[in-house]
Formats: sequence, C-alpha cells, structure tokens
Amino acid sequence: MIHVQHLTKTYEDLQRGRFVAVDGISFSVRKGEIFGLLGPNGAGKTTVLRMLSTVLEPTAGIATVAGYDVVRDSADVRRHIGFVSNNTAIYDRMTAWEMVEYFGRLHGMKSDPLQQRLEELFEQLRMNEFRDVPGGKMSTGMKQKVSIARAMVHDPPVLVFDEATLGLDVLVARNLLLVIRSLREAGKCLIFSTHIMSEVERLCDRIAIMYRGKILDTGTLTELRQRHNEHDFEELFFGLLSQHEQEIQDRRGVSFPSTLDATAGEQRV
Amino acid sequence: MSESPDTIRRKAENEGRARPSAIWLIYAREMRDQLRDRRTLFTIAVLPILLYPLVGMLLLQIAQFSRQNAMTVCLVGSENIVGAPPLLDGSTFSPDLIEQPQTLEVKKRQWDELADQPDIETKPRRWVQSGQYDLVVLIPPAFKNNQMSADAETSAAAIELFYNVGSDQSVVARGRVAGVLSAWRGRWIEQRLSDVGINPTVLLPFDWTDTDIATGQTRETAFWSKLLPFIMLVWAMTGAFYPAIDLVAGEKERGTLETLLCSPALRSEIVWGKLGAVATFSMLTAMLNAGSMLLTSSLVFKHIDLGASSSLLGAPPVVPMLWLLVALVPLSCLFSALALAVAAMARSSKEGQYYLMPLMMITLPLVMLPMLPGTTLNFGTSFIPVTGMFLLVRALVEGQYTTALFYLPMVATVTGVCLWLAARWAQRQFESESVLFGGGEQWELGVWVRHLWRDRQSAATPTQACVCGGIVLVTLFFARLSVSEMPHNFAGIAKLVLMPQALILFPALLMAFMLTTSMRQSLRIRMPHWTTLPLAILLGVALHPSYVMLSKLINHVYPVSEQAALAMKPFAQQISAAPWMLVVVLMALVPAICEELTFRGFIFGGLVRQRGKLRAVVVTALMFGISHGVLQQSIAAATMGLVLGWITLRTGSILPCILIHFTNNSLSVSLDRIASSDWQGASLFVSQTELGPSYQPFWTLISIGVAATCLLYFGTMNPVTDESESERVDSPQDYLDPSTSLASA
Repeated sequence: MIHVQHLTKTYEDLQRGRFVAVDGISFSVRKGEIFGLLGPNGAGKTTVLRMLSTVLEPTAGIATVAGYDVVRDSADVRRHIGFVSNNTAIYDRMTAWEMVEYFGRLHGMKSDPLQQRLEELFEQLRMNEFRDVPGGKMSTGMKQKVSIARAMVHDPPVLVFDEATLGLDVLVARNLLLVIRSLREAGKCLIFSTHIMSEVERLCDRIAIMYRGKILDTGTLTELRQRHNEHDFEELFFGLLSQHEQEIQDRRGVSFPSTLDATAGEQRV
Repeated sequence: MSESPDTIRRKAENEGRARPSAIWLIYAREMRDQLRDRRTLFTIAVLPILLYPLVGMLLLQIAQFSRQNAMTVCLVGSENIVGAPPLLDGSTFSPDLIEQPQTLEVKKRQWDELADQPDIETKPRRWVQSGQYDLVVLIPPAFKNNQMSADAETSAAAIELFYNVGSDQSVVARGRVAGVLSAWRGRWIEQRLSDVGINPTVLLPFDWTDTDIATGQTRETAFWSKLLPFIMLVWAMTGAFYPAIDLVAGEKERGTLETLLCSPALRSEIVWGKLGAVATFSMLTAMLNAGSMLLTSSLVFKHIDLGASSSLLGAPPVVPMLWLLVALVPLSCLFSALALAVAAMARSSKEGQYYLMPLMMITLPLVMLPMLPGTTLNFGTSFIPVTGMFLLVRALVEGQYTTALFYLPMVATVTGVCLWLAARWAQRQFESESVLFGGGEQWELGVWVRHLWRDRQSAATPTQACVCGGIVLVTLFFARLSVSEMPHNFAGIAKLVLMPQALILFPALLMAFMLTTSMRQSLRIRMPHWTTLPLAILLGVALHPSYVMLSKLINHVYPVSEQAALAMKPFAQQISAAPWMLVVVLMALVPAICEELTFRGFIFGGLVRQRGKLRAVVVTALMFGISHGVLQQSIAAATMGLVLGWITLRTGSILPCILIHFTNNSLSVSLDRIASSDWQGASLFVSQTELGPSYQPFWTLISIGVAATCLLYFGTMNPVTDESESERVDSPQDYLDPSTSLASA
C-alpha cells in the first residue's frame, strides 16, 4: 500500500544551513500491517509522514500511497489516507459532529452515506456524549477522538498516526491503541510513529528505527532481536543509535561530545 | 478499474482544478466560524451599528447645547450713541442688522462703570479673560461727537472690541458683532445721505449675483462623494485584515491549517474559499459602516442647522451612493487577497498584525490621493490602482456617466490586473512550504550573519535581491535630494550622471561578492547563443522609434512642468556641446552596464528563483522604473524594463540586455546629431522638426515590424539554464546515488 524509495527532504535552516531532515529512506508497508516508525525527537519521523500525507513535497525520491504518487497525484493520495498528528488540531468553534461532517463533505461524500458513517463512527469511538460540544471546550482525549474520527470518516485504506499518543493520559492512550489494532483487523494499512518503545513493542508488526533522518534498521521485532543478538528492545535501540553516532565520528575523524546522551535522557522521561 | 477512457480523460482534465463545491464548503465553514466569534461580530456588525448613532446623538446634544448657550456681549456706553439708526432691540441687536439676533445676548453697561479704574481697558480685559462676557464692545464718550459736520478734519471716534482668540465662542461673537456693526454703519450712511437729499444708491455703482451651474445632484454630493468612498475603503481594508489574520495566521497558530492541508481540498480551493470569506467580511464591514454613517448623518443633519455652510454639506444623498457598491466588490477582493497573502507569512495572529501595518501604510496613500483637491478622473489617474476606481465611482456618484464610461476600460483593466496579481500572490503563499511551515526558530544576529556567509549560494536569494533593490532605491532617493542645483560645466554633469550609476552598481557588486559563491552566476554574466548579440543591437535600434513614441505619449498624458523643463535645459545644452564619444560613454555605456548588472543581473537572478519568473520580470521592471526618479522617465523605463526582463529570462544572460540598453541610450543621445549630420541617408530615418529630431513615420512602422520579428526570435529561445531548477541541488554530494543504498542492502 505504501512504498517509499530514497525519500529525502532538506530544509534551509538558520542554525545549520542546508539541513537534511530525511536522508534517503526506503520502506514499504503492506495491507493489514502496522508499521512502526521509532526514533527520538527530531529524527525526521514527522517529516516523513508529512511527505506521505502530501503536506510537504519531497526534495528527492519517490513515495506512493495506495498506488498514487505523492507529488503527481497528491489529491488522490489525500483521498486515500487518514492523517492524525499532534500538529493537526481541530477547530475551536465547531462541534465534534460538525467537524467530522465537514471533512466528510470535503472528501466528497454524499449526505446520506455520510450521516450513516458519522453515526457509525461516533458509536464506534464512543463520542456520542460530546457530539455537540465545541472543540474549544473539549478535553485532550476528546479532541484526539475527534481527530481520529476526522481521519477515518472517508474509510481510507491507509492511516497515519504521528505521535498520536503524545500528551494523552494512560487510559486514553490505551484506548487509542485498541482502536488502531481494530483497524488492522479491518485490513487497513497503518503507519504509527512514536518515540515510546513500549507502544511499538506491543503494537507494531514491523519496525523502522529512525535517527538523524536515516533508517538504521528495519524488520519485525523478532528479526531485529535476532540480528542484533539483543533481547531487550530498549538496549537494542540505544545500541543502534550509539553505533551510528560512532560511525559518524569515525567518518569525520574528529571527536566531539555525543548528542546521544542528551537525547537518551529525553527518552527515559 | 472499469472506468471508460472518457471518464478517465475527464478526470485527468479536472485534475488540479478547483471544484466550486469544495470552495463553497470551505467558504461556508469559514463564514460560520467567523460568525461564531464574538470579537469578529462585535467589530464588524455591532460596532458600526452602535458607533455612528452614538456619535450622532452626541453631536446633536452638543449642537443643542451650543444653540441654547447664546454668546453674551457686553455693550459699554450705549448712552453715547446719538442720532444713529437703532442698534439694539431690547437685550438683543436690532433684527434688521443680524439674522437670528437671539444668538447674541447683549448686556448694557454704563461708561461710568469703567471710569473708576485708572485705565479704561482694565475691566473689559478682565471680563473677557474670566469668560463673564464673550465680547466687550466699548463705545467711547467721544462717539457723541460723531455728528455729521462739514469739518472733515475731525475723524470719527472708534468703537473698540475686546475678544479672546483662545476662546472659540469669543471669536465667533466677534465675527458676528463685526457684521452687526458694519450693517449698522451702512444704515447710518444711508440715513445721512437721505438726510442731505442724496439717493443712497450712488454709493453702489454696480451689484453682482453668482449662479452655481452644477446640477442638483453634483452639488448635494460634492462633499459626500469625497468623504464616503474614503470611509468605505478604510473600513473595507480594516474589515479584510482581521478575518485574514484569523483565517491564516490564527489557524496556523492553532494547528488547524495542517488538518485542512491534508484533507483532499486543493490549495487553490482553500485559498479561494478563504479569500471569499475575507472579502465578504470586508464588504460587510464597509457597507455596514458606510450605511450606518449615511443614515445617522442624514438624520443628524436634518436636526442641526449648520448656518451658512449647510448649502455646502447638505444631507447625504442615499441613492447615488449605491454606486459605491460597484467599486466595493473589486476593491474588497483586492484588499482581501493582499491581506491574505501577507497574513500567510505570519506564524501567529500577533505577528500577522505587525505585517499588516506596513500593508496599510502602502495602500492608504492610494485611498488618500483622490481626496486631494484637484484630483479628478483623467487619463493619468485612471491608471493608478485603487485611486482610479475611487475617482470613477466619484464620477458616477456625481452623475457624470459619460466620463465614467470613457475611463471604465482603463480602470477595469488596472483593477483586474491588480486583483489577479494579488490573488496569485496569495495562492503562491499557500503553495510555499517555507511560508506554511517554516521559521519556527529563534532569530539571532550572530547566527544569521554566520548563516549568510556559510550558506552562500551561487545566486542571490529572492530576499537578498529585494534588499539590494531597496538599498539602491533608498540611496538614490537621498542622493537626488543632495543635488541642489544643475551644474553648468561638463565635469559637473559627468559627476551628476556617474554618481547614481555608482550607487546602483555598488550594492549589487558588494552583495554578489559577499553573499554568493559565484559573481558570474549571481550577476548572470553568461555567454548566450551567439545569434542573440547582433540581434540585440538590431532590436535596440528597432525598438527606439517605439520608445520615443512612448515617451512622447507619456509626456502628453503627464506633462512635464515648465519649471522642471527649464531646470533640465543646461543639462541638455552641455550634453549637445560635449564630444559625441564622451557622451555615448557617459550616457549609454555606463548606465547600460551598471543598471543591467544590478537590475537584470543580481536582482533578477534572485527573484527568478523558486518559480518566480513573472515576479522577476515585473519587480525588476518596477525597480528599474523607480530608479529613474522622474515620473515620465520612470514609466517609460519600467515599460522598457519589462521587455529587457523578458529577454534576459529567455536568454539566461544579461549581455543581450546590455547591448539593447546601450543601443537605445546611444540613439537617444545622438538622435539630434544624426538628424543634423551631413550624411544624406539620415533624412530617410530621421527628420529635424521644431520640437527636435523625430523619426520618419515609415521607418517607425518598419521598425515595429523588425522589433516584433526580433522579439519572436527571442521568444523561441529557451533559457540556457533554468535557475528555478538548478538551485535545488548545489553540490554534487546532494545528488542521491541509488547504488550506495543498494550496495549496503
């Protein structure tokens, strides 16, 4: 369903100059599979997913979603994808129902099937009690549910969750993971990005570990464990990151303090 | 996938085209969203509805207050009036001396009351100072002697008025009493003349009347047709700003813009939907404000009597003002598109407000210009955006339909082009990633300087190009101010010509050296296909008659003032007296090189990047025009700038432009010499007329044909390098090498 080849994105940045946020990554995701994108903050996960959802245009490389090219057929890609991110907020002055309905209509859904779909979604996500609450008065959990309903309203074959559990309490986050699992059962193709390792371990069929714009390794959890001969996933993750850091330093031939410690500290919080 | 080829073809055709249904959906949502916002509703609907009636009510009350409070005048020494026509009628002035005598309340005092002070003036001064009386009139005892006497030596005793210029009431009272006194004096003269048996009309050898030939509509609307469009446009601007900030910068801040961007809505649909909503609010604000003001003022003016000035003001005519709505639609759309584009650059609502202020500063003069006395709709003003529309509407409101119809094509074209450009700009903003997502980082001077140096590219960035243009234009402005008078020798002239050229060239050279990695590339010094060079000279020669014609046309539309022409005279004399080679170098070669390197080189090279072909051509032409300083020259130069910009775009080099520019300028400075030369063939092309050398009409016609052919040839060329594409990858390492990843896999 999703194929990514040598995808690259560079930014102009005041601090770093031309900055490569995503550096030639390749992966593919099949139907009925949850693909986890794991990496510390600033690894380039959001950039990859934004490119998949056509909000950003890749600098180089190819990406197709449900057979459509993200650059050439960007409108078609958006019609076949549902994108939930902590950057995609909901409107403050619209109720939950209006919000989801609006996006359904933007997808070109006819009135009757749309109403039916809305009832179904609101039932499925248990959103009926705040149907008429405006976005500005909702709790974070409610907002997240509306966002998910918004992304699912046109029943897309591909769903992208970018740090979707960020800022949610344990209960809501757990519910979200259940929803995602049920979507897999329904045969959807899912990408799930996070920096929380336990979520990846519990949820994902295959994992890509991203760091500094590169994918360090991909595979199922078992494959990764076997390949790196390390059972503890957290150890495996840090091992990969520090190995990469070492390679960079060796290549440059200079030693300077690793930034890994700082990011690693962030990971444990 | 059982779609027929027809459906697939139709689908492909409609791909990327905005769907009206989606635009409508977005528009409806934005409208509903804004209408649910209390602040928006208040500023747009509630404020104007409440504001004007409240102000009107206040005005009415103040008016009543001032009418009830009659001005008090103290008349000292009325007993000294002997044998005169009646001045007073009880406690007011006599009604046949003044209209509405009740507005001046007269208190009488005896002259003796002042006599206890050593100085007569002490008491009157104190009375006026303390505000006890607004005016004190002193009729001295000597007034008794003002009898008609044969003795011409005795001059009449004077009445003294004490007033205070610091008090409006006092000034008004003085004016009115002065009127009363002169009328009184007239009566007295009449009385004296008839006493001696002379008809008073001998003092009036003639009389005059004046008739205002303006139609009733014009007279009534004269004041309102100036004021109301202004108020309407200012509100249209304000009404566009706030929704624009909220709908773009606000949504960015709240994170809802990204939600919309990853929905199937196309960027163009989002822009048009939002533009529609902003324009609607702009129009609503303007209409509600103007309507509320019109209604209130027509009620208020009925109640307030404005005295003599009432014939000038009059109640606002309501029906002709409906013409304003015709202008409101395009201008609201224009303001909305500009506001939307500017607001898109901001990351938050607060930042948006900072950005909109300069926009207001730029647009406001265009709205103010028609308010200046003497600005009317003519060929020149109809080409100024906003102003032209404003004047057109004024003509319509005043009932001058033929004038309005005549200038309609010009105004409509200018407004249409502006609208199109603004809408395109807004859409471009929405397609730019750096505008939508960029710039979250902290700005620091040191980091920025390091960034400028470290991230130098082969050509200037669009921002650097704009900064360079700005520096050039500002320094030129100050340099022109510092030139106080025309020099009278050739060296002075040379200095006068060379200094601006140096100021034009220097910033571009410096910036190209400091901020880019390649001088050649950033100044666009490239060798184009060899055929372009001789063709450029031919084109320069062929374009010159058209250029001369254009200059004449411009001088006809915007005539040069005699003063300016006189000031230029020593300049022209010096030029014609100097050796020809020197003049060509000074007036043609140097400007061609300096101006082309800067405008078509550095600035164009920066602006053309990021798919900015149209932007580069238009902006450099405008800057090139403005750099000429004199309006008439600026317009001609800007037109020439468009041609030069297009040619440098086509050839990818500035060399053809330098040649065209050089040829054009050299012909301009040597036309006189060609016409008066001994060469017989010259008369084929140029003839000497009273107004100076002029091209033969047949050669003008041929030259247009030649120029068109040359331009067609340039049109077939493709740029040697397409800047917008080449900038993406700067160094070879950036190219992806697929084999490396294959090897590692």
